[in-house]
Amino acid sequence: MFWLGVGYLVLLVVFALVMPWARHSYLAAEAKPNLPPNADFWLGTDEQGRDIVARLAFGARISLIVGLTVQAISLLVGIAVGVLGVFAPKWIGVPLLRLTDGMFAFPDILLAILIIGVWNLGLVPVIVALAITSWPGMARLVFTAVTSLKDREFVIASRAMGASTFKLVLRHVLPHLWGLVLAVSMVDLAATILAESALSFLGIGVQPPTPSWGSMINYARSNMNSYPLQLLWPCLILSMTIFSLNFVGDGLRAMIDPKGVGRIDDAPLPGEATPEPAPP
Amino acid sequence: MRLAKSILLRLVYGLVSLLFISFVTFVADEISPGDAATLQAGEKARPEDVQRLRERMGLDRPWPVRYVEFVGKAVRFDFGNSLLGARQPVSQIIGKALPMTMKIAFLAILLAAGVGILLGTIAAVWQNRAPDQAVLTLSTLGVTVPNFVLAPILVYIFALRLDVLPQTWEVNLRAPEFYYLLLPVVILAARPMASLTRLTRASVIDTLQQEFVRLAVAKGVPSRRLIFKHVLRNALLPVVTAIGTSFGFLLTGSFIIERAFVIPGLGSEAIEAIQRRDTPVIQATVLIAGALFILINLVVDVILPILDPRIREAQV
Repeated sequence: MFWLGVGYLVLLVVFALVMPWARHSYLAAEAKPNLPPNADFWLGTDEQGRDIVARLAFGARISLIVGLTVQAISLLVGIAVGVLGVFAPKWIGVPLLRLTDGMFAFPDILLAILIIGVWNLGLVPVIVALAITSWPGMARLVFTAVTSLKDREFVIASRAMGASTFKLVLRHVLPHLWGLVLAVSMVDLAATILAESALSFLGIGVQPPTPSWGSMINYARSNMNSYPLQLLWPCLILSMTIFSLNFVGDGLRAMIDPKGVGRIDDAPLPGEATPEPAPP
Repeated sequence: MRLAKSILLRLVYGLVSLLFISFVTFVADEISPGDAATLQAGEKARPEDVQRLRERMGLDRPWPVRYVEFVGKAVRFDFGNSLLGARQPVSQIIGKALPMTMKIAFLAILLAAGVGILLGTIAAVWQNRAPDQAVLTLSTLGVTVPNFVLAPILVYIFALRLDVLPQTWEVNLRAPEFYYLLLPVVILAARPMASLTRLTRASVIDTLQQEFVRLAVAKGVPSRRLIFKHVLRNALLPVVTAIGTSFGFLLTGSFIIERAFVIPGLGSEAIEAIQRRDTPVIQATVLIAGALFILINLVVDVILPILDPRIREAQV
């Protein structure tokens, strides 16, 4: 399943890079609306006569852009906050950790909805809003991992040999984190792609005419009685992407942690609310 | 005494979370471009008119003063008026929408908890055998297939092809409400159901391996009694916590379900408000949804130590 997931994701990236313009435009109506799948338009055309393959491909691009950007920001902020929470002086570390805890008070994508609501509709607000909601999880993960690393012999030894805190973190702590962080990022990436699609489905994500899987599902709903296939494609590609990312994330986690401490059965699943932290 | 102290601690913590949410909600409006006065004055208003309006509305006072006022009013359920349309008081809009959202979320969590605990226990008891495989496959599907994918697919099957359930909510219901709520509730429950199933399964398997269970088996406790009295009582504690946290998911999930089924609830109001840039309504919906999430978790946190003496001892 792991390699199947990897294979699918590679195909998806190629699809997203090549397909939006390769055969047909994703924006212009090039044929009659609601054509069934045929030799020229492989999956047919949508309600405005646009090529569904090209739109799915551009939707893939949107999903990947949003997902990867959000994860990059969330990784940077999460690692910074997690490491600072352990190694920085108290007056920096403690407020940062309290802020992280506070962020968990917001359920799921509610904060994202608030940010988009008072700011604007569009791609950039979506990315910023999802980044703001996704870093606390990463920060807490890094904080827990770094806390347990801090008292290991090799860190103490390095400190005894006079390494500065900065060098210590860079050379001895962070290298131990990559595996875990990468595995969790995969699952978080799935959650982010899901959240973007959900926002677009609600009509407050990526705005038309730019296609997104979520908005394609939303538009296909209105005439699903006559053209159920138009609904099937975005649902299928989205679900398969989420599946693959989860399988790859789990596979990576199993490789890093063969004893299965963090198996899928007890790890928080994408989008699932993380338990409230215990009161201090 | 200890219990009282720990409950008090949780209350304080919940209060701090509430203040945090209200602060973020308030700040979000502060940093957004334009304020209530600009919107109310309209696009053609002269700057000095807008300024006069701002002074009349009290928007020129420093922000800490306005934040305290915002919280003070929110506690009394006063969120000002909607910026658009008939400028209806926001509390009225919320008052109409909230019961529907609560009803759907409550039914969904009941369904999710009931079915989830049942399936999870079945899977654990028959671990690694056919029932377990089936439950695991189903629950993997349940957590990965998003509800906005599930909704149109089920609507297509049950409303359009089989024609046994209505496609969307209607203003004038033509059948008992049950028929209209069945699909939305099942779809909303799918994901928490799947994750509660997994959690119950893991927890029951864990409990089954503990010494006291082996002792009970050795003593000859009949298996049904063993599962219900000995195992489930211990295994369900983490599940109770998870029920509280999945409520947060249900609230935001209901935004999607309400949208998909055109149900007049909190989510529909929020999305409509965002598209029309009606800030007071956005603020109020987010604040109320957030407050509900905190309250539910607070209740769970308070119930848990009452259910489990071990937590009572561990705390403080």
